[in-house]
Amino acid sequence: MPKGMFVDTTVCIGCKACQVACKQWNGLPGDPGDFREDPAEKIPVAVNFTGNSYDNTADLTGTNWRHVMFIEQFPENRSGGRWLISSDSCKHCNDAGCLNACPTGAIVRTDLGNVVVRQDVCIGCKYCLPSCPFGVVSFSHLTGTARKCTLCDDRIHNNLGTACAKACPTGSIAYGEVADLKKRADARLARLKSLGHDKANLYGYKEAGGLNVFYLFLDSPTVYGQPERPVVPQGRLVLSSAVTVAGALAVGAAALVAFRERGQVEPGEEEVGK
Amino acid sequence: MSIGAHAPGWEWYYIGLYFFFGGVSAGAYFIGSLAEFFGGARHRGISRTAFYIAFPTLLVTPPLLIGDLGQPLRFWHLLFDARSGFPYVNFSSPMSVGSWALVLYGAMTLLSFLDNLVSEGKIDSAPFARLYSRFPRKLYAAVGSAAGFFIAGYTGVLLNVTARPLWALTDPLVGALFTVSAGSTGAAAIFLVMTWRRVHPAAELEEFERFDRIVKVLEIALAIGIVIAAGKYAGVLFRGPYAVMFWGGAIFLGTMVPLTANWYAHLAGRHARSEAVAVLMACLVLFGGLLLRISLVQAGQL
Repeated sequence: MPKGMFVDTTVCIGCKACQVACKQWNGLPGDPGDFREDPAEKIPVAVNFTGNSYDNTADLTGTNWRHVMFIEQFPENRSGGRWLISSDSCKHCNDAGCLNACPTGAIVRTDLGNVVVRQDVCIGCKYCLPSCPFGVVSFSHLTGTARKCTLCDDRIHNNLGTACAKACPTGSIAYGEVADLKKRADARLARLKSLGHDKANLYGYKEAGGLNVFYLFLDSPTVYGQPERPVVPQGRLVLSSAVTVAGALAVGAAALVAFRERGQVEPGEEEVGK
Repeated sequence: MSIGAHAPGWEWYYIGLYFFFGGVSAGAYFIGSLAEFFGGARHRGISRTAFYIAFPTLLVTPPLLIGDLGQPLRFWHLLFDARSGFPYVNFSSPMSVGSWALVLYGAMTLLSFLDNLVSEGKIDSAPFARLYSRFPRKLYAAVGSAAGFFIAGYTGVLLNVTARPLWALTDPLVGALFTVSAGSTGAAAIFLVMTWRRVHPAAELEEFERFDRIVKVLEIALAIGIVIAAGKYAGVLFRGPYAVMFWGGAIFLGTMVPLTANWYAHLAGRHARSEAVAVLMACLVLFGGLLLRISLVQAGQL
């Protein structure tokens, strides 16, 4: 029975409690690259602030497994406008590009359906990074390995739920059986539609074989920084390989034409020589 | 806010160089094997030289690959399961299959390299030579050239089968382009080493040029296809240092100039050939092949 999370972005207030809870439970420090030694200060100075948004990490990284995304849509004259806030993390795809791409078997799916990078097995080849269509998996220079949200693997296997869901004060992040969460999501979507939010949509029912962590958005997924149609890249493997083999055959044919013809000419030349 | 896959952060001096050296080795080995199978006795010079190139060039690559890892000492996890120790392969991962192909190809290039040394009397041990002559040379040349083609092409498939925009959109052409480029850089390397070893390269020059005329046209066609396929993400190939590498290095110096010189010599006839020009063109082909790998690997990460 897969476990997952339903992220109802419509009730997220951007408090970042989930981010803090994630960092605390998983023991994730600030990334050294986010700090600079300043001779005038006694302690390293943080330099990773976005500076133009309440969004403080801007992206998921090897030490930020949760990212509260602030989409601040305001016109120049500040009349009207809206906030869209969405807490983002690994989606624990049912067809996971990172898992497909991992050459060492370090990335595994557990009995609860979550996708985990085994830190003692990962060699840090970084191939899972470009293979995740959502841009979740990241390389950590602290550990020399790929890291991402584990769906609190240790907690959920002890019936504790995820740390972020536990910390969420508005119920925007709900942890549970995916099937139960989907029922709740469908009801919530119907309610929002009836209230006139025509563009409201559920993201993650079909994408990448179904996402165990799925979202309720008020606008198209790209507004929330998610790909409209995420493609699990390994679906192209057969065609890509076939065309490469065709390329190989072409080079082989070229070599035969170029290097063999002479062998046929040779006897003639010898005859002329005689 | 960025949408889509993270860049892996592969360094050009590890991954770009590996793609290049792997391609040169595989291309040379393949041409050498074909010369071995289909060529006459005169082509023995080509196959010998090719097998002298393939193994040492491949020896460069493991340090490059391991150097790029975040946990270099765990490199053996690529081949063996970390817990059980049993051989491990993930068929949906080009990198996993490629690791095994490297092992297989490495073994075949070593066999061919040793065969060269025994045949040319550089290993002067009768028991070893006797033992060695039992290995069927054609068998490992056949297995090695198949594995070599895999080495040349899988690097492109590995890039194509990701979610990075430039690499994903240019699918499925990069694997074919790298394979073709491996053929031309391999031939250039053979020609250069033959010239250096003074193994009558002038006699084979015409054949090398004929081969190059075909693969260079293929290479240009595939490169154009890639730029078209990249569509709105082709911008990274038109701006900045990788645009200079791609257009100036890989396409102009590495492909257009050698192809033009080649055609000129072809049309002007046999006597217009100069070995100095041919050597320079072979150097340009190798240089262009290197910049092709670096520009596509790095531009895809921008």
